[in-house]
Amino acid sequence: MIDNIQPKPLPEVELPELRQIGRPLRRVDALGKAVGATVYAADYSMPNMLRAKVFRSDRPHARIVRLDVSKAKALAGVACVLTGEDVKGANLNTDMPGQTGRPTRSGSDAPVLALDAVRYVGEPIALVAAETVALAEEAVGRIEIEYEELPAVFDPEQALRPGAPILFEPDNVVSRYTIRKGDLEKGMAEADLVVENTFRMPFVEHAYLEPDAGVAWIDEQGVINIRVATQVVEHFRSVARALCLPQNKVRVRGTMVGGGFGSKEDVTVEIFLAFLARETGRPVKLVYTREEAFLATSKRHPFKITHRTGVKRDGRITASHVEMVADSGAYPYLTPYVLLYATGMATGPYRIDNVHVDSVAAATNQSFTSAFRGFGGPQAALAYEQQMDAIAAALGMDPLEVRRINYLRTGDTTCTGQAVTSAVWSEECATRALHALGDRTSGSKTRRIGRGLANTFQSYGRITWFHDTSRAWVGVEQDGTVVLRCGVPDIGAGQSNSLCQIAAEILGVPLDHVTIYATDSAVTPLAGTSTATRQLYMSGNAVCLAANTIRARLTARAAKHIGVSEKEIELGNSRVWVKDDPDRFIELAEVAQLCAAGGIELSQLAQFNAPFTGGLDPETGQGDIWPDFTFGAVAVEVAVDAETGQIELLKCAAAHDVGRAINRAAVEGQIAGGTHQGLGYALMEEFALKDGRVVTPSFAEYLIPTTLDYPATEVIVLESGTGIGPFGAKGIGEPALTPAAPAVANAVADALGVRIHEVPLTAERVLEAVDEARKKGLL
Amino acid sequence: METRTVTLDVNGRTHDAAIAPNTTLLEALRALGYTDVKNGCEKGDCGACAVLLNGRAVNSCLVLAWQAEGQEIVTNRGLGTIEHPHPIQEAFADTGAVQCGFCTSGMIIATKAMLNRNPDPTEDEIREGLSGNLCRCTGYGQIVEAVRLAAERLRRSSSSLSSLRGEGTPRKDGHEHAPVERVRVSDDEFGAGDNS
Amino acid sequence: MTLPAFDLLQPETLGEALKLLEATPAAVPIAGGTCLLLDLRERKRTPGTLLDLSRIEELHRIEVIDDVLVMGAMVTIAELLDNPRVEAHAGVLHEACRTFAAPLVRNRATIGGNLVHASPAADTAPPLLLLDAEIETQAEGRKRLTPLDRFLVGPCETTLRPGHLLTAVRIPIPERPPRWAYEKIRLRKADAISVVSAAALAAPSEDGPPEVRIALGAVAPTPIRAWDAEETLKGRELTAGAIAVAAKVAAEETCPIADVRGSAAYRRREVEILVRHCLSDLMTPSGGGGDGN
Repeated sequence: MIDNIQPKPLPEVELPELRQIGRPLRRVDALGKAVGATVYAADYSMPNMLRAKVFRSDRPHARIVRLDVSKAKALAGVACVLTGEDVKGANLNTDMPGQTGRPTRSGSDAPVLALDAVRYVGEPIALVAAETVALAEEAVGRIEIEYEELPAVFDPEQALRPGAPILFEPDNVVSRYTIRKGDLEKGMAEADLVVENTFRMPFVEHAYLEPDAGVAWIDEQGVINIRVATQVVEHFRSVARALCLPQNKVRVRGTMVGGGFGSKEDVTVEIFLAFLARETGRPVKLVYTREEAFLATSKRHPFKITHRTGVKRDGRITASHVEMVADSGAYPYLTPYVLLYATGMATGPYRIDNVHVDSVAAATNQSFTSAFRGFGGPQAALAYEQQMDAIAAALGMDPLEVRRINYLRTGDTTCTGQAVTSAVWSEECATRALHALGDRTSGSKTRRIGRGLANTFQSYGRITWFHDTSRAWVGVEQDGTVVLRCGVPDIGAGQSNSLCQIAAEILGVPLDHVTIYATDSAVTPLAGTSTATRQLYMSGNAVCLAANTIRARLTARAAKHIGVSEKEIELGNSRVWVKDDPDRFIELAEVAQLCAAGGIELSQLAQFNAPFTGGLDPETGQGDIWPDFTFGAVAVEVAVDAETGQIELLKCAAAHDVGRAINRAAVEGQIAGGTHQGLGYALMEEFALKDGRVVTPSFAEYLIPTTLDYPATEVIVLESGTGIGPFGAKGIGEPALTPAAPAVANAVADALGVRIHEVPLTAERVLEAVDEARKKGLL
Repeated sequence: METRTVTLDVNGRTHDAAIAPNTTLLEALRALGYTDVKNGCEKGDCGACAVLLNGRAVNSCLVLAWQAEGQEIVTNRGLGTIEHPHPIQEAFADTGAVQCGFCTSGMIIATKAMLNRNPDPTEDEIREGLSGNLCRCTGYGQIVEAVRLAAERLRRSSSSLSSLRGEGTPRKDGHEHAPVERVRVSDDEFGAGDNS
Repeated sequence: MTLPAFDLLQPETLGEALKLLEATPAAVPIAGGTCLLLDLRERKRTPGTLLDLSRIEELHRIEVIDDVLVMGAMVTIAELLDNPRVEAHAGVLHEACRTFAAPLVRNRATIGGNLVHASPAADTAPPLLLLDAEIETQAEGRKRLTPLDRFLVGPCETTLRPGHLLTAVRIPIPERPPRWAYEKIRLRKADAISVVSAAALAAPSEDGPPEVRIALGAVAPTPIRAWDAEETLKGRELTAGAIAVAAKVAAEETCPIADVRGSAAYRRREVEILVRHCLSDLMTPSGGGGDGN
């Protein structure tokens, strides 16, 4: 890797100077959280409330021969015990027909409570509601069960072989995709060299600090209310379906979420609570223990990804064949979409004319896998970015140079033939991240220094054939303060604050004049999921629409009052004034009162629609998948101890084009935090199972980084203004994570001269590589 | 198992409550309404439940409630409120150190303990002092900034003799608590909220 | 997950505690609780009665009595770190305390608890083994001293009998302070159980080369002295060659297990590396802790 890279000059961008947007204002939710006032799901209580506990499978694959809950029911203080019999037919419909562009899979929905068989350790079998947590635990301890163990499978490739134990007839295939772009054979024939590598990634746990929790009760209208930490208030529909209730009889009241990262995108406690509340007629609370949060919720998909790439001596890639096998765990959940993302991003932010991708996800008797920040993108990136470095090594070229030659540019198409329409600042990001590493640290025989780069892209906004929409309501009070109502779940990234900051900008008020009421499926306009890096784009745009409509009414009324035309009006600091004559003004409050008196609406509900497309071609996988992409890069410098195998991260820099930063501090926090999760992915995190049993059941065994493990990431925020979100914003939540792990893997390979093809890069794996490097005379 | 009435001194208030011996301080505090003390793991691995016990930051999940009797307990809420936030709380809010906020109360308690002993910590010392508090959202960078900023603001205002909002008079042993009159709370209030 | 039911006795004095233990020998003493409460929560143990030691002032003292550093069982790791006598007379122990778990845990975990829990990876043990530590245990009307290496007999197993209490840890203060070195490997930089830990000490002698001691943690059923390795260094100067031999022998006298933190082979390999580092630190005039004067 050449050092002392100079940043590529940025293209000319004219971003208008704005009052609120872009500033690192204190977020509207920050102080409440800082003083410990903010209430999370587990902090709620209702009078006469019961406590719930879940009885779970301790076998990876077994028939339930006998389940006896009578002793649990008989325990004094136990209000009810429910089994699969009691909730028969209630499923989590996770494999949604038609939404993957593939034929539906039948019989693979996850039952709310297992009835005949269990397919993973941790699968829920029975529910208990009792007067206290201790009683509920005791009741669970009294449940008797007899299993007939069935042969189990713990590897997706094995699961695909004939004779493998089958989780769902006819085979264990959960999802498959094929991409056929251009002419692979021709492209390979043109190549001077073919480089092939296989990469593996493990299960990873989200490790949010707030264990899943909720409280449910039935109100005076017979509506089941569920207070829950969730990324999706629309799960009220899943609850209604499971309980055979009309959709307007379930209300999800989401709380501030203590971290989700995709895990709280699935239904977690909602349906359990709804059944128990209905059965007992009393409020019920369920709080997962940490071990339960680890055991019973989704994980990041393990992948095995093989790249076979044809390249010319000058560095140009002529053909790429990628094969992917993913582990779906015991139930599909969101696997078909995760696989789609990984497939659609399989070749990275590079222009390749001839591409074949074959991907498959198979079921195994292990933790079910679903959404986790990046949603298949991080796995794809770990493979394609390491492959880029491997290509550079094979050609004897600089890794940055090989990338330069192959970067996608605006107007080029991805491997599914989707044209990228926004700015692509891959080189601008890469050079800045590398430049930020400064002078290379000097090493020694036993302390090997290495540098690594990764360029990635990650979508923002949901799959476009989902026809995604979002809604927001904005209103101006008669004192000029502003109210927002939006169903947006705030999972910590500042989702609700960004909407306030946008409204504040458009309506010309300071941020602390905006109050948001959010996350209630009955009372706030539905804004869709806090997933897929979509909230700023979708709900932000909805707020823009609503706020701009009101602004126009306000400025028109003010202009009329002052006696000038609308285009002479300026709005800001809670005041409306004449641009060239600021002494002629009217306070915003007075304008609001004039509007109210004159019957002019001071509020507006607006809906924003994402682009609606059809699906991919079933044979070639060609078509558009997402609204847009965010491009970014991470560069790191590591020191590898050749004696202990330990890796020390010396420096880390992350550069992303976020389009436009709404709240500067929040964007920097997302980049720093996402990078950090990616560093953990590369260096220390593996949710380990042995024969289907979790070997890392708590924070003592599953290690995430502490304050001492990595230095602060230097965050570089670039703004091309070309995003399709508010004010030209792109999304950053998931893109922030994607480049970090491959950058580290590349740095370690640079340090040792030998590549480790698996993450995490444990000391033992490093020592194996060290021994190999020594044999090759590289160390 | 014999339950007895235990007196807990929390944030300057005195609570008399009937508490079973196998109750952790974390459970007892949450049952008394101190839901700012979070349950992140109940094993002492994450620091979300941190409180000050006689000025020392501890994982309240690993202290039995009976052991905390006769000791001074301070939770994050005891340091400040929305109307009168403590400078540490303000600094966290100002630097973007608060994302999901679940680790925040524990972080602030650990910060308070650290700054009580060392009012001018280096970055290494800050990171060391917070090494028992996990955060999954921020990557810690802005948290370190918050502590640095808080330390600077505390040094500035203590040197200017102006009284700090939310701060009581510092005692000789360096412990501070909100100047709230000692309020006796009766047995009935325990169990008013099942916040465990 | 709630803790199982138990009665909690809270004596105010040592005498009271010993009387209670005599009457209820099955009562389990609780010190900092940082390990015991985990065991209770996971139902690995379900004692009917716990004996809370936290109110017993006598157990919280650190004193020097007749050239012996006496650390009460309830002294926390944080208190050891704060104490200048511990830093001066037990530098290698002080260093181990610095990286023990995490700050919040150090404020509760005690030296007595760490030794009674007797994890093979107990961080205070290897330094204490180097320092000729003795365990003071008491029962009603009885007091006894046991060398630490005879106190720790197996994974989470000690010679402590029911009805007895570990009351203090005693370290003789040498006339001439030794040089020492300490290093450990963990999977992250804080709050992680040691994968391997090594400590070494060079006690100056009247004439001839210093007496070198080596202790290891997390690589045997208990923390151990590397006796065979020490033997190779008896009466010899510390040279690179002697160190290499000692390090190799030290690795051979361990019997590490494989677990979620690492394989046995990796642990053994790292014992050799860490011992070499520690002994090399003792070699250089400015290396290691303590200045040996």
